Amino acid sequence: MSPEVPLRLLLGPQRPVVNLDSAVARSGIGDGPIGVISAAWQEAEGDIDDVQRLVQNPLSDLRIYERTEGLFAADERLHEAYRLRQDRLKEQQRLYRMRLEHLMVAARQTLHTEGDPTIVAAERRHAISQLRALDRHHLGQVEKLHSRFDSVFNADSHTLLAEHAAAIEDDLSRFKTVLITGGNVIVLVNRLRLYGLDRHLRRKNIIAWSAGAMVLCDHIVLFHDRMPQGRRDPEIVGQGMGLLPGIVLLPDANRRLRAKESVRTSLFSRRFAPAACMTLDNGSLLLFEGKTLCDSEAAKRITRDGRFKRVRAA
Amino acid sequence: MNPALRKLLRKGTPEPADIDALIGELDFPLVDGPDVTFVFRGTADEVYLRCWISGLDTAQPFQALPGTDLWATTIELPKGSRIEYKFEVITSGTKELILDPLNDVIAHDPFGANSVCQAFGYERPKWTLHDPVARAGSLQSRQVESRVFQESREIQVYLPATFRSNRRYPLLVVHDGVDYLHYADLKAVLDNLTHRLEIPSVIAALIQSPDRLKEYGGDDRHARFLVEDLLPSMNDAYPLRNAADARCLMGASFGGVASLHAAWRFPEHFGSLLLQSGSFAFSDIGRHQRGPVFDPVVRFMNEFREQPGRPADRVFMSCGMYESLIYENRSLVPHLQAKGVDLRFEEARDAHNWENWRDRLRIGLSWLMPGPAWMVYE
Repeated sequence: MSPEVPLRLLLGPQRPVVNLDSAVARSGIGDGPIGVISAAWQEAEGDIDDVQRLVQNPLSDLRIYERTEGLFAADERLHEAYRLRQDRLKEQQRLYRMRLEHLMVAARQTLHTEGDPTIVAAERRHAISQLRALDRHHLGQVEKLHSRFDSVFNADSHTLLAEHAAAIEDDLSRFKTVLITGGNVIVLVNRLRLYGLDRHLRRKNIIAWSAGAMVLCDHIVLFHDRMPQGRRDPEIVGQGMGLLPGIVLLPDANRRLRAKESVRTSLFSRRFAPAACMTLDNGSLLLFEGKTLCDSEAAKRITRDGRFKRVRAA
Repeated sequence: MNPALRKLLRKGTPEPADIDALIGELDFPLVDGPDVTFVFRGTADEVYLRCWISGLDTAQPFQALPGTDLWATTIELPKGSRIEYKFEVITSGTKELILDPLNDVIAHDPFGANSVCQAFGYERPKWTLHDPVARAGSLQSRQVESRVFQESREIQVYLPATFRSNRRYPLLVVHDGVDYLHYADLKAVLDNLTHRLEIPSVIAALIQSPDRLKEYGGDDRHARFLVEDLLPSMNDAYPLRNAADARCLMGASFGGVASLHAAWRFPEHFGSLLLQSGSFAFSDIGRHQRGPVFDPVVRFMNEFREQPGRPADRVFMSCGMYESLIYENRSLVPHLQAKGVDLRFEEARDAHNWENWRDRLRIGLSWLMPGPAWMVYE
């Protein structure tokens, strides 16, 4: 059951103000049943009564997190390999962060500094290109770690995994629309990847908020300027599902980003260009028909010089 | 003089009812910018403010306010300071050390209680208070059979609210862990920081020595107890990530020495250290002046300073500026940094007490063990 041109309805956090109800109503998604992926809630997966109260469509949670826990319990070898991969990914991320820290300091300093405009501009470009090269390298290394795992544990070679993937595909086939909640973005993307769900979700209408929206992008970029220790530099952690190419989504940016620090926000924008960095704050909405933006509300794009400009549909 | 007291005395001798009214209206001690005025009401021959603040006199005399039964003394405290104190009241040659009767804010420690002065700019962090929204972890007792000490030792184990046996958790080993629970609200802090996703769900082993001044002062037996008795026991009983980078040793005062010493003796076992007001006494020449209980500490610290090695990858240190140990703590920083330790050092306008250590837990724990706030987008 698939729409001809799938809709992507992207929202910010659903607290304190809920806009899921009004957004679904204005999106034209229709009143059919909706499959829910709330794996990002981990142990709270499936606790969707509050969501059900907001939308008229009947909801059914796909229980992907719970299913994976069962899979791990049933196959210790798979679980161990998965843990090992996660440990390696953490190590890879640690080393990336170690290098990133220095390049970010250098790039910020070049953006701050004054001097001969031609010379400074060249150094800025180079500093940012070094950052982008590191990001590319890191993505490649992360992908290698995933591929090593995927080459052993995949639906073709692993019976139990194949059974689960088929069961999810079967579940999904009942829905034209899938809703993906916010929560832990790493847990979510790992679960989706384990079952190769990007292939199946590609053809569905998708309603997603926060982490759920982030996994639709090409890459997942973590960011938080207000950690207990202060600012933390944005990090790429891996590939998303690539259903929304050329966009980096920044949920809850009002709270997480120091928007007035234009050097930081400018660097954010330039580092990930040509992708557009778009905020998804509480109350925001972006609606894509296929890859075309057809509606937006309160979402903003970070400009090259670090300002925030309202995103407008064409 | 504090403006409120000046106003009281401006009209001459105040009536007892005026004094009652003033006391009923105001919070004590009286904080007026950096000036803090302590007030005692009662009959006495002499009154002193007793606080154990390095840099201030340990006994600051009060002045009797003429025509009243009030005594007052004013000290200057920088913004954000927090100090603990008592009043020494001398009557007919008898000295009595009492809490400030006009101040309800009290801090407890294993030796009793002190009154607390929260100077201008200090506010108790919200994350140290019980938060009904934060899901509560649980505490359970456990016996650790110690081959090193040839006895069974009771510890408390903190399990996070979301504990699942099929997960793997980092381990936090807390010296004087029961004291941390009682005097530094460790359980509320762990519950709250976990709820705020600022630290991951952790399992904490709260250990308590029957002879801490001996065992925590650089005693090899204690280091072996941690590595040979405690860690295997915890690994057997709980789903822990079996890696040094998933283990943090933590302690305050002598507990800080014990943490550093154990990590130094067994450098591959603990990835991070949280050291609060460590009693890191050392001597460059001659004998130290801190009394015999520090002899083994100084022996260890002198040896450590000669050959620091790399006890852990990451170290968070904190110390109060108003404690004499600030010098020793500051001195340790370059030694560790020179060995490539990723170190963060935090100074606070506080002294050697449990609430100072409590107030630094968020920054220390979340730096050593960052939580998933980074990757959670609700």
